[in-house]
Amino acid sequence: MNEEIEKIYYFMKRDIISFSTYKTNIAILVLTALFGALSFAYLGSNAEMQSVLQLYNMDLATYLIIGLAFSTYLNQSLTLIQRTINPWALEEVLVSPTRLTTFIVGSSLWGFIWSTMVVVIYLAIGVFIFGISLSVNVLGTLIVLALGIGTFIGFSMIGAGILILTKQGDPVTALITIATGLFGNVLFPPQVMPPLLQAISYLVPQYYFFTTIRLMLTGWSIQMILPELLTLALMCAIIVPLGYAVYYWCLKTARKNGTLSWF
Amino acid sequence: MQKENAIEIHNLTKIFKAKTNSERRFPLFRKTVPIKAIDNLNLTIKKGELFGLLGPNGAGKTTLVKMLCTLLPPDEGTATINGFDIIKEQMNVKRSIGTLFSVGERGFFWRLSGYRNLEFFAAIYNVPRQRRYQRIMEVLKLVGLEGSAFDLFQKYSGGMKRKLSLARTLLPDPPILLLDEPTAGLDVLSSRNIREFVRETVRESGKTVLYTTHYIEEAAQICDTIGILRNGQLIARDTPDAIRSMIKERELIYIVVEEITQAQLEKIRSLESIVNVTENNQDAIGNQKGFCLELKSIDQVPSIFDFLFREKIKLVNFSREEPTLEDAFIELTKRA
Repeated sequence: MNEEIEKIYYFMKRDIISFSTYKTNIAILVLTALFGALSFAYLGSNAEMQSVLQLYNMDLATYLIIGLAFSTYLNQSLTLIQRTINPWALEEVLVSPTRLTTFIVGSSLWGFIWSTMVVVIYLAIGVFIFGISLSVNVLGTLIVLALGIGTFIGFSMIGAGILILTKQGDPVTALITIATGLFGNVLFPPQVMPPLLQAISYLVPQYYFFTTIRLMLTGWSIQMILPELLTLALMCAIIVPLGYAVYYWCLKTARKNGTLSWF
Repeated sequence: MQKENAIEIHNLTKIFKAKTNSERRFPLFRKTVPIKAIDNLNLTIKKGELFGLLGPNGAGKTTLVKMLCTLLPPDEGTATINGFDIIKEQMNVKRSIGTLFSVGERGFFWRLSGYRNLEFFAAIYNVPRQRRYQRIMEVLKLVGLEGSAFDLFQKYSGGMKRKLSLARTLLPDPPILLLDEPTAGLDVLSSRNIREFVRETVRESGKTVLYTTHYIEEAAQICDTIGILRNGQLIARDTPDAIRSMIKERELIYIVVEEITQAQLEKIRSLESIVNVTENNQDAIGNQKGFCLELKSIDQVPSIFDFLFREKIKLVNFSREEPTLEDAFIELTKRA
């Protein structure tokens, strides 16, 4: 077990060193976060959306900043595992005595840490420039984040698995991105949509993630969001093993067909 | 009791589905046909043996290596590596082998130094942390890269990249090495360095090596035994010399003589041991005449000398032509 944890550390170390050499990319990512946060927070501070105020008891700027910050997080996470399936790197790792779970966790961990840092930038701009007020329920936030990360890794594994077989084009990630924008409670609450579309919102885990993370950052207690939290936990419990099974099956099929390094 | 064989392959078969090449059909609608990449292959490689696997492109060499290193599951049959089954005991197989793929350098991170790349692989190959630095420097020294250990991988030349791949293969100090075309695409000097390294350093260490290549003389220089793979089947397996002799149905000798008459030449033609005589004046000077004599066997050479002696024909030069391994390879793959 210790060996596997150490391997995860070395996956992360490799990724950090490699990532730190792409200085222009880092600057662009930080600037995008800065300007994105500034423009949405500015929009939010000059407008009102009654449903937001009524449902979440927060102003539009706070609603938008949190939504934007975590949607970036979700988008990054969705493609994390796909980015690790460079076919040659994959072959080199698969011939080593390393477990598949170690490979998945190890090669995606740094991406999550970096995405968390970007979230902090978004929130810091909201707090220090636009004066949004956050009251973080630390335990609740950690639970929601863990469930969210699990769910997104599950989605990412499904997308990466399909990509291993199709080589180009992954409909799962495209669908999830669309669903997040429309039904995920990212930039507007689903309550402003027609009832049919609202109903779809309640079927996507992103809705529960964005709802609960907002509330955990603005002083609500875990008990108050328990139904949403349990729904998210249930979805996570289904999506993670499903994602692993899909990824494992696709990898096995590509290995059997000898197409692993065909990209 | 310890097993004698490092690699044992029993009835191994791998079938791929390939789309037909019909240009008249849109790629999506082309039929798929099964292709046997490895066809009921049986092979054993002893511990400490350097085994060269030769074959033309598409013979199944890389498929075999990928099955042995557990990347590709076989469709039929099985194999054991160091006594471990490649299907049931994959982790133990992976701990017993070091694999070098012909495009292995693509698995490295270009923005990391050679050392940092190997540090990562040392961790995932379970090299103990306290030994890691020492081991990395050892293998870098072995392949002659110790002076460039901390240079970025992207600055390495093609030969250096391949050497780093070789260093990665040696990192966990496995008893068995699977080297898939280690010199493919390299310049003459880099190829020679790698050949010398395998021939000398790896042999000294007592490791078992499966070395695939389509450079025939390279395999002969390095390996104790050679196998020729054709359409997924092993069509020959022996020492390089024995492989050469497999195609030797006639002995060819070249002689250069002085002042031979037409009548004497006709007498030579009529000797029982002679199959054919052709003129070959390549090495003849002035009055000399050169001939290529085709004999049934090398044992018949003394009778030729007797005849020349009796006829007082002065022999200037004598040589025997050995078929090259390349001749053998072409002939054997044609026969198959």
